[in-house]
Amino acid sequence: MREVVTVQVGGFANFVGSHFWNFQDELLGLADDPGADPVFRTAALDMDVLYRAGETHQGVATYCPRLVSVGSRGSLGALSSSGTLGSSSAAAEQHNVVAWSGNVTKSVAKPHERNLFLQSLSEEEQNPSSSNDQNTAKKNVEDKDLVESLENGVKFWTDYSKVQYHPQSLYELYGSWTDFDRFDHYGTAREVVSEWSQMEEMNERLRFFVEECDHIQGLQFIVDDSGGFSSVAAQYLESIADDYTNTPVLLYCVRNPVSYGSPRNQRENITRSLHDAVSLSKLSYYCNLMVPIGLPSLSYLSPLLSIKDDKHFHSSAICAAAIHSVSVPLRLQHVGPASDSAHSSGNLDIGELVHILSDQGRQNMITALDVAMPAPSLADRKDLSNIERSLHCLTPETNDDDEDPYAVESLVVHGALDAGGKRASVSQVKDYICSAFEGRATKPKFSHLSVSPCPLPIPLPFPSIFSSSIGHQGQILSSQDPEGTRPKGSLDVVSVPMAARLRSSNDVVPFIERRSASLQRLGMARGTLGSQILRDWGFGKEEVEDMGEHLAKLLRPFYPEMDLTSDSD
Amino acid sequence: MSVRFLNQNAEVLNKSAALHMNINAAKGLQDVLKTNLGPKGTIKMLVGGAGDLKLTKDGNTLLKEMQIQNPTAIMIARTAVAQDDTSGDGTTSTVLFIGELMKQSERCIDEGTHPRFLVDAFDVAKRATLEFLEKFKTPVVIGDEPDRDTLKMIARTTLRTKLYEGLADQLTDIVVNAVLCIRKPDEPIDLFMVEIMHMRHKFDVDTRLVEGLVLDHGSRHPDMKRRAENCYILTCNVSLEYEKSEINAGFFYSNAEQREKMVAAERRQVDERVKRIIELKNKVCAGGDKNFVVINQKGIDPPSLDLLARAGIIALRRAKRRNMERLVLACGGEAVNSVDDLTEDCLGWAGLVYEHVLGEEKYTFVENVKNPRSCTILIKGPNDHTIAQIKDAVRDGLRSVKNTVEDEAVVLGAGAFEVAAKKHLIDNVKKTVKGRAQLGVEAFAEALLVIPKTLAENSGLDTQDVIVSLQNEHDRGMVVGLNHHSGDPIDPQMDGIFDNYSVKRQIINSGPIIASQLLLVDEVIRAGRNMRKPT
Repeated sequence: MREVVTVQVGGFANFVGSHFWNFQDELLGLADDPGADPVFRTAALDMDVLYRAGETHQGVATYCPRLVSVGSRGSLGALSSSGTLGSSSAAAEQHNVVAWSGNVTKSVAKPHERNLFLQSLSEEEQNPSSSNDQNTAKKNVEDKDLVESLENGVKFWTDYSKVQYHPQSLYELYGSWTDFDRFDHYGTAREVVSEWSQMEEMNERLRFFVEECDHIQGLQFIVDDSGGFSSVAAQYLESIADDYTNTPVLLYCVRNPVSYGSPRNQRENITRSLHDAVSLSKLSYYCNLMVPIGLPSLSYLSPLLSIKDDKHFHSSAICAAAIHSVSVPLRLQHVGPASDSAHSSGNLDIGELVHILSDQGRQNMITALDVAMPAPSLADRKDLSNIERSLHCLTPETNDDDEDPYAVESLVVHGALDAGGKRASVSQVKDYICSAFEGRATKPKFSHLSVSPCPLPIPLPFPSIFSSSIGHQGQILSSQDPEGTRPKGSLDVVSVPMAARLRSSNDVVPFIERRSASLQRLGMARGTLGSQILRDWGFGKEEVEDMGEHLAKLLRPFYPEMDLTSDSD
Repeated sequence: MSVRFLNQNAEVLNKSAALHMNINAAKGLQDVLKTNLGPKGTIKMLVGGAGDLKLTKDGNTLLKEMQIQNPTAIMIARTAVAQDDTSGDGTTSTVLFIGELMKQSERCIDEGTHPRFLVDAFDVAKRATLEFLEKFKTPVVIGDEPDRDTLKMIARTTLRTKLYEGLADQLTDIVVNAVLCIRKPDEPIDLFMVEIMHMRHKFDVDTRLVEGLVLDHGSRHPDMKRRAENCYILTCNVSLEYEKSEINAGFFYSNAEQREKMVAAERRQVDERVKRIIELKNKVCAGGDKNFVVINQKGIDPPSLDLLARAGIIALRRAKRRNMERLVLACGGEAVNSVDDLTEDCLGWAGLVYEHVLGEEKYTFVENVKNPRSCTILIKGPNDHTIAQIKDAVRDGLRSVKNTVEDEAVVLGAGAFEVAAKKHLIDNVKKTVKGRAQLGVEAFAEALLVIPKTLAENSGLDTQDVIVSLQNEHDRGMVVGLNHHSGDPIDPQMDGIFDNYSVKRQIINSGPIIASQLLLVDEVIRAGRNMRKPT
């Protein structure tokens, strides 16, 4: 078993993370549930990879995510930053002032209201026995209310989280002079991290989790790079690279569609372009593999999904599902390189994943992420439902042509269905993919396949993003549901077969090129507004040049001829 | 109004409105922090939206917690916080002083004085006060053996404003001993060499000074000893876990057997390093009842731990980076980055190493060291907010002792300095300036009194009575401060109430600068943020 430590930095990253951990929690629950689909028990993913066992001060055993989550102060909503564990001590005792004998003034902020879902969670915790005995009809009605309240009223990422976090996991950034409502570009975070040695505290939190690991395989790092948090993450990554030299870091840069709102004026436009360029340069510098996720709009991603762009709750769900799928090979049972098991195939660790994608062929470390949610059934041999074709790209600014002979990819298929809604076996999926592969016009240089029969479980607090043509087990129904076009959610769909692919190819060239160009055009010229902005962010001329050079280096693998010219001088 | 022409949304405040906005902001901030000052101040309990708790009496912390919006207030707050960053104390006093200067100026301006006169006079008064401070301060001989009593007095003065007396007095010794422990002659004091560790356990009075180090992790092997005496300490930064040497260098193998061999070869390198350490252990510990402890900044994987455990070595992995430095200062020896040339000289020494387990948290104590140059203050408390409160107080205490050692001087506290300075300004300085500037000097002198006034107010005493009796004593040539219990004048020297010289200097320096800047503002233009938003 090789451990993964997860780090989430920034608002949207925590939204994504919250969904991600809900999936894991659901998996844990289903593995113990005798009534659940047996595939969740037999096809066990090794949860110890992501979770840690511990105990509280009172000696109660705990099983918590190995996670450091960094958010702005107040972004935790009704959840206390010390997590849900260990808060059981009486409230009266808490409010004692023991170290001061003088007067006390109390100033109480208005408590955050806990929504229906959180209320039902804490109720369940208090009397777990009664919840089972309730008659199902009544419970269904109640669940419907819960889903609806989440659908309309998610403000914080904790509003729909059902996971117990370790007291060391949740870290709130304090910024006395920083307005987190306007934390929207790289320069805004300058003061935040140095203040009160917050970076040191963040490092300590991470160290706590890493110290426990016997064989850490790597870090899974999710950052919301649309604002100042990308600067926080860059500094965090730098110190990680310093402290854990040989630990590979898999970085997901997530953005919500809202952050793409049209700029109000020229200055904002320039600020954004520069921010994108600077954060790409800085973030890619200290990680091993970078996956940008976040389209300007997700509404038209797939006819099978209906995602509302303006809801974080919606847009983060699809990102989390994709990240979950990519993480599946990291916790498949380890079998010999040649042998195979009935329950899984193609396990990887982060180091190997990085090696496959970024070290072979071109030395490109920026990869695109494609996802098929749900993955079509193997029985559908019609062109349209081919798994490869149903993959939709979540990475922005890519070009779509598949014609890169140097592409390297890693494909994960889990929980795929066969004809009649039966679960397809591992070897069936492999055969299917192989034959599909043979049929492709331009084959990638290298492709790795991981298969698991375990589908993506849909937990109760999951948004209603499925179209009405999705069945109970995530199969694609040929006939329209008589109920009409109402989107389906967690009450109608219990699990979904998934496919996801990381692809390192020239698809990402426009993504990098645009950033490199905007840094050259806006940031390098003397006396322009752009260079002024960069100076305000604290970058000297040389540092800007370094960043530009680093971006050019990211592009170099795609233009071998550029290499020649740079060698000659 | 030309700005309006350029940007229609811009909002302009004219001269008197701008001035009053600034004055009101300064007064508002003063009102918020006023109740904090002194040993009789009020502690603030802040309850967040999720029910989390924070207790503080520290102006610095409060200012940071408040999320101030008003631009003038932010300017004042930043000055005050910068004060804390450089000297570790005096945030509340700075805010009070600026607020009072603005208040006094308002009176003069309302009577028709131009702000320019006030500003010039402030400058004169400031310089005079600083000169007076030089004469007034009490020198402290530091030398090789600093006078512990003076240091204790100053630490106690600081701590008593943050914690109840019993606890403050207990911490006084801890704080003074900690600073003296890490002090090196002729070098600036690096307070980072005092580790502050906390345990949620027992009571606040169990807080203690550990001469040595407390690490917040333990060994990760069931067979390693939990307690050992007479230990050699090896501080190192060497990876003792199997890892691929470079990300770029993968294995190229054609069959499973070859792969196994490659893995074994890689593994052998790590084992080799572990063996070096074991060899050294066997050499130095031969025959005696001595033990060997390895504290590593990098990781140690289970096979390596196994080897070490079998050799009777206690090993800790992933130590904090800063602890590597502290360990060497506490135990001696040096931090090694490679195991190639290990000798006995690299090793440190500790009389006792033991582990303390609290739930899932483990603590390793490295104690009974010779000649420690680093130490740990172990804070205990029943809950997180008490721990945080004690931690803040300890930090302030450490800073005040450090300042004293570096200033080689202290200033009489309890408001004695402010009353004396006022007398000096009125009696001697006022005469030297001409015309309306005299009003400015007077205002400055009056503003100084805000400290004793607030102290009296917070103690529930009659402010005017107190000020009059203090001034009478000073007129008779006695230097007295305020007894916050009775309201009577006391001699601060006798009661051991001292403030830091550098803190006072900073307050007098920065207060008038900000006040002058704010007074000279004659137009405020808003084109963006709403400045009428309440703080």
